[in-house]
Amino acid sequence: MDRIISTLISIVAAVGGSAGIFIGANKLFDLARNRFDVFGAVAGSLLGFLAGLLMWANRVVTFVEGPIVGAPEPTGFTAAIDFVLMVVANTIVPTAIAGIGGWLITRVAEGEQQKKLILSVGTLGLLGLVFGVFYEEALRAEFDIAALLLWTAIGLAVGAALWAQRGRKRPIAGYLALGGGSGWLLGSLVAPTLGTGNAGWTIVSATVGFAAIGAWIGLRDVADYEARDGISRKSRVYVFLAPALLFIFASLVLPAARTVWLSFLGLDETLDFADRAAGGVDKFVGMDNYKAVFDDPKNFNVENWADVFTSQLTYVSVGLIVLGVIAGVVLGRSRGLKFERSGSSLAPLTLGVFLLSFSIFAVLRGTVFNNLWWVVAVVSLATSLGLAIAVLADRAKMENVAKSLIFMPMAISFVGAGIIWRFVYAARDTSQDQTGVLNSVWVALGQLSNSGWPKTLAALILATIVIGLLYLGWRGYKGQAMGVAIGSAVAALPFLWVLVRLLTIGIGGFSIADDGTVIAETILVRETSPFNNLFLMIVLIWIQTGFTMVIFSAAIKAVPAELVEASKVDGATESQTFWRVTIPQIAPTIGVVITTLIVLVMKVFDIVKVMTNGNFDTQVLANAMFTTAFSNFNFGEGSALAVLIFLSVLPVMYINIRRMQKEAA
Amino acid sequence: MSIESRAMEKRAAQAEGGLGSRIYNFLKAIPTWVLWGIVVLWTIPTFGLLVNSFRPRDGQRSSGWWTVFTGNSEGGLTLDNYKSVLESGTTDSLADALLNSLAIAIPATIIPIAIAAFAAYAFAWIPFKGRELLFIATVSLLAIPLQVALIPLLTTYSGGAHWTIPFLDKTVTFFPDFSLSGSVTAVWLTHTGFGLPFAIFLLHNYISGLPKDLFESARIDGADHFTIFWRLVVPLAVPVLAAFAIFQFLWTWNDYLIAVTMIGGNGPAFPVTVKIASQAGAFGQNEHLLTAGAFISAFVPLIVFFSLQRFFVRGILAGSVKG
Repeated sequence: MDRIISTLISIVAAVGGSAGIFIGANKLFDLARNRFDVFGAVAGSLLGFLAGLLMWANRVVTFVEGPIVGAPEPTGFTAAIDFVLMVVANTIVPTAIAGIGGWLITRVAEGEQQKKLILSVGTLGLLGLVFGVFYEEALRAEFDIAALLLWTAIGLAVGAALWAQRGRKRPIAGYLALGGGSGWLLGSLVAPTLGTGNAGWTIVSATVGFAAIGAWIGLRDVADYEARDGISRKSRVYVFLAPALLFIFASLVLPAARTVWLSFLGLDETLDFADRAAGGVDKFVGMDNYKAVFDDPKNFNVENWADVFTSQLTYVSVGLIVLGVIAGVVLGRSRGLKFERSGSSLAPLTLGVFLLSFSIFAVLRGTVFNNLWWVVAVVSLATSLGLAIAVLADRAKMENVAKSLIFMPMAISFVGAGIIWRFVYAARDTSQDQTGVLNSVWVALGQLSNSGWPKTLAALILATIVIGLLYLGWRGYKGQAMGVAIGSAVAALPFLWVLVRLLTIGIGGFSIADDGTVIAETILVRETSPFNNLFLMIVLIWIQTGFTMVIFSAAIKAVPAELVEASKVDGATESQTFWRVTIPQIAPTIGVVITTLIVLVMKVFDIVKVMTNGNFDTQVLANAMFTTAFSNFNFGEGSALAVLIFLSVLPVMYINIRRMQKEAA
Repeated sequence: MSIESRAMEKRAAQAEGGLGSRIYNFLKAIPTWVLWGIVVLWTIPTFGLLVNSFRPRDGQRSSGWWTVFTGNSEGGLTLDNYKSVLESGTTDSLADALLNSLAIAIPATIIPIAIAAFAAYAFAWIPFKGRELLFIATVSLLAIPLQVALIPLLTTYSGGAHWTIPFLDKTVTFFPDFSLSGSVTAVWLTHTGFGLPFAIFLLHNYISGLPKDLFESARIDGADHFTIFWRLVVPLAVPVLAAFAIFQFLWTWNDYLIAVTMIGGNGPAFPVTVKIASQAGAFGQNEHLLTAGAFISAFVPLIVFFSLQRFFVRGILAGSVKG
């Protein structure tokens, strides 16, 4: 119950606080037009409060030593009260001085430049005096004439430069007062050795410095109605933009820039985590972190590249590519084209390229190649599956139900999806029943391979399918329909392969012991490298296919019906209509989907983290970055990995943002 | 393939001619059968988990979920998993984690919407110098993957932000150490920052598309920007605000990376995703409770999904560019 209440309180406080600040800022600048003195008082006290807060929070000026409520161990509510009271106690004096000063400057000195100057110098001087008196003893600066002159001179020069740059419209004295005052403060209070100075000098220097800044305010023109209206109007841009830009700057721009800097810093073994967390104390090592990433065989391992030429997968994929090319050329010849683009040529071709990439990625190992493999596999499979489902669903009954069910995984978190698939992939000791669907089916197939009549039955069914498809192909060949001929021949291949395997070495998970008994064998999905990567990719494909399907579905429905009708009237087959009308029409959408997925997959993290945590050769960049930075506290190398992720998505994001801006325009 | 085979079958059937339209009809239905086959394949993982979540520990461990339908399931069906997961106080309890998730997702949804709406309005309708450039710069930040900002953000939350003045070698603190790391506040603050560029982009697209006459007549009537924003823009922008709200809520609810980075090992502050992931990593006695846990964590997004599907799809489509 406590948790619910404290949660609710913090939510209300956060939301109410931000709304209050925004409305308050708007109302404050409304005052500038109608009640300038109130505006002066409120703005003055706000500035005084901020100055006091900055001084107190940096332990420069302390009015009241905390804690105030004084419970021995402040907890929860007491601590919060204490905190608020301490902030108030330590800022009330500057807030009051600046507030009253602001009211006097805008009200009493209305219209009189001289009075304004006196009041401004007085207010700021008093503020400086108070700060000087309560200045922390340990921070009092020694009197150092060289530093004082140097910094004051620099300040004056900056003031003069500012005056020249602003078009010399106002008297130079104001600019000199501002620059000289700031320079004086730096030269007398900040630059010299701290801790050995005396109270008198601190008070004098603070008073003089602040008074000079007061003179700057006093020398500015007295605001007439037009100027006040200008304050009210021009401030709106800042009021509306400041929250967003501040947030973005503090939580995105600055950290990103800092990450780039951190990536050039190395791990200094003599520092502990607290030191490194304080920032900036690691030594500069240049590109060493990037070198380390690529030198590590865990990240970049091309040792076994020659194995590509001995893997079965390579031969199969090269065979498919050749088949696809032949199909394209043969089909094209009959239509007077160099290469016929249709299902029967493109399907084996793309499948071949796809499998070839698999056989390459299975050999080139390491984090970097894993990421590329993820991109290739997930992007191509999620895209093609989504497209296929969108086409299938286009005219099906209960289209929306089917699409909803396939889209549903999009709503589930990646962590939840990881858990769901863990249960699908579960492997148990082979002496017991399997509880995971995958291994259960796999073991059942193994039993089928070693059974009597069920095996024969399965072989017969497979043989029927193969013969049927080959018959279709033969008819196509006879009827001069080469597309049908090659299409059915290609479709027959996988069935033929399964049939041959079933009759020779068998399919499914089993091994045969010495005494001839059949032992069930499971797939250790998480542990068996390199294809455990594939099983992880399936999880993301399962999630993202819904996304691609929804987008493609919308795109296909947007293809003008006249185009499809016209191609049918011209005698195109459905296959030709699809490849030559629908696909070119939705090509931009395919581009959108692919770029979106590339970015998403490059950053894949949760699934790998939950399912293997990068073990068993399944590491990806984002998880490597997380482990390096937050488990090993090597911020330098972690930052280098983060920058690598950034660089790799940058071109794709550029394309994406350009497209979005075009759409928006 | 399917189109190809459909065309193939059609031709074959026509070639067979008299062999009967029954075979042809059967073949024609194949794409639909393939579709529903895929649907079943897609639903099985979730469905299996759902069934398992109603089975006791022994049942889950000794047999697959499908045995429920053959009647061989040990222990039958029970609600115990959900009871023990929702009961507060135990180590496996998700009750606190659900609250934490809400404590993250609600401010991380409302605050960016508000802040981004102000900014989007300013970018769209308040003319000022350098507006185009600033807007393009803001939108370009969408390209930054959030990994790039994580390390400095975490050090800021755990140790404050300090700046050493060059040449003077004195350090100034801009953001004191509030020991925010390990708290839900750090998580929603981070989400707010990361959500803003996208929110500004999305809302700007919509708000800048509102008719110009509306603003001109309002200004003639003497309304200032604050009034226009409040009385005119907010009510008109409700659809896009809803789409963004749903997207951002689901994004923060389902997020794991930011939460696990910012909260680290502080168990009581875990949101559901981190809690479940940590249980999944533990391989403990209570693995069977993961089923119920995963379902409870998916419950809120699924409700949103099925009740607000239209907005959800729109949000997902628009949000596909988020960095």
